[in-house]
Amino acid sequence: MNYVAFSLKQALEIRKATKARVMAGGTDLMVSAQRGEGMMPRFEGDMLLISHVDELRHIGFNASGELEIGALCTSAQIAGDSRVPWALRAAASRMGAVALRNCATIGGNIANASPKGDLPGPLYALDARVRLLSVDGAEEMLVSDFILGLKKTKLKDDQIIGAIIIPKMDEWFDYIFWHKIGTRRANAISKLTVTMAIKLDQQRKIVEDFRLSATACGAKTNRSREVESLVIGKKVQELEDLVAPVQEAFDKVISPRAMPVFRRTATKNMIADFFSRVARLPEERNME
Amino acid sequence: MKIDFNLNGVQVSVDKDPLSRLIDVLREDFGLTGTKEGCSEGECGACSVLLDGKLVTSCLVPLGSAIGSRVDTIEGIRDTKLGSIIIESFANGGAVQCGFCIPGMVISAYCLLSSNPHPTEDEVRLAISGNLCRCTGYDLIVSSILDASRRLA
Ligand SMILES: Cc1cc2nc3c(=O)[nH]c(=O)nc-3n(C[C@H](O)[C@H](O)[C@H](O)COP(=O)(O)OP(=O)(O)OC[C@H]3O[C@@H](n4cnc5c(N)ncnc54)[C@H](O)[C@@H]3O)c2cc1C
Ligand code: FES
Ligand code: FES
Repeated sequence: MNYVAFSLKQALEIRKATKARVMAGGTDLMVSAQRGEGMMPRFEGDMLLISHVDELRHIGFNASGELEIGALCTSAQIAGDSRVPWALRAAASRMGAVALRNCATIGGNIANASPKGDLPGPLYALDARVRLLSVDGAEEMLVSDFILGLKKTKLKDDQIIGAIIIPKMDEWFDYIFWHKIGTRRANAISKLTVTMAIKLDQQRKIVEDFRLSATACGAKTNRSREVESLVIGKKVQELEDLVAPVQEAFDKVISPRAMPVFRRTATKNMIADFFSRVARLPEERNME
Repeated sequence: MKIDFNLNGVQVSVDKDPLSRLIDVLREDFGLTGTKEGCSEGECGACSVLLDGKLVTSCLVPLGSAIGSRVDTIEGIRDTKLGSIIIESFANGGAVQCGFCIPGMVISAYCLLSSNPHPTEDEVRLAISGNLCRCTGYDLIVSSILDASRRLA
């Protein structure tokens, strides 16, 4: 049996009682279940449609100044909200075409755990957390811990993703880089997406923080704190000399199965591009 | 499950599984065959309709998502002022060949021009970037949408 929930409470109760699989925008699930014209899609087991659960549709700051994005927020909504960090907005604004962005949700993009999904990359780099809700309470974990691998997450069968939480970040990053390579502008599934962020000290001489994540380079989005530590504490003027060691170390982290040479070379070029631009300390903070 | 929504301005009700595809309900239960099915996977835009004023591909929308909402299809839009201006521009501008993609194109154009009556060419191309056309090469569709924009008061 398929269910429709009209409140969060109702959704969590149905989920607990039936273990029905959650559907939000349906843009992944309706495609995989479709059987063609005039046919009822075929799902394995019961489904629970949560698209009417308005409690999960908000974007706003919580009491600790962190930005909370409800799991049902669509790519269009995220792309159009200036409170959302730029890299995440950029990624949301390039998902599919207009109609897709009106339906695709951030909760669905994370729970779907596709290595080509566009939103985990920036979320990993931002240290974003996911809040999982159930009748019995809430738990939070890093998005990068929640996603285990291809189509695998830590979601329990009575849980629903409630929100994504982005740590307080206003003055966090001086420079953010986000670049997606796809086949065409619209409906382009990522072939490679790299997110990077750099925070400088007050004198703008030393790199205080550095983040690097890559999407479509293996079974899940990749990020490595070990690689990032090669850059943290270094002088801005040294950045260009760090391209080769960072790229070499990151190479060992990513595991592109298809087109490995293209993906490794393109990753290297993006790192080189970002570092050389930042070394000049430009006005422009967001780079693509 | 009983599902109530507003279809082209009229309150309607169907008894269906909430995970039926909206496109099937529009075409089969309501006979609104102007909405076309091309790819069944959200890639071609032939099945585009408006859900609460927002462009969606009805092959991906579960019927349950339309509960309490307003759905507008090409049959509802063609008689509006904006809809008829767009359709006239398409006809005069040679934008239509086989016609299969056109209802979806008109819906996307309607959606664009209702929020942005005077778009640039780039904005037009972006707005129809989810609508595939095998016949025209898009240029005449784009110029027809720009023509419709000029004809809006
Ligand atoms: C034409 C087309 C183009 C696309 N282009 C892109 C693209 O460019 N980039 C990209 O990243 N993706 C793309 N996608 C994939 C898809 O649109 C996204 O992954 C989207 O974000 C999924 O969200 P949804 O709400 O539609 O998911 P659904 O289909 O509703 O669900 C997807 C999965 O998430 C689970 N789920 C959903 N919400 C929750 C929740 N709140 N709690 C727990 N589990 C949940 C479901 O059980 C299911 O396993 C595209 C899809 C199509 C059809
Ligand atoms: S039939 Fe729905 S997008 Fe192609
Ligand atoms: S006119 Fe034939 S597909 Fe567009």
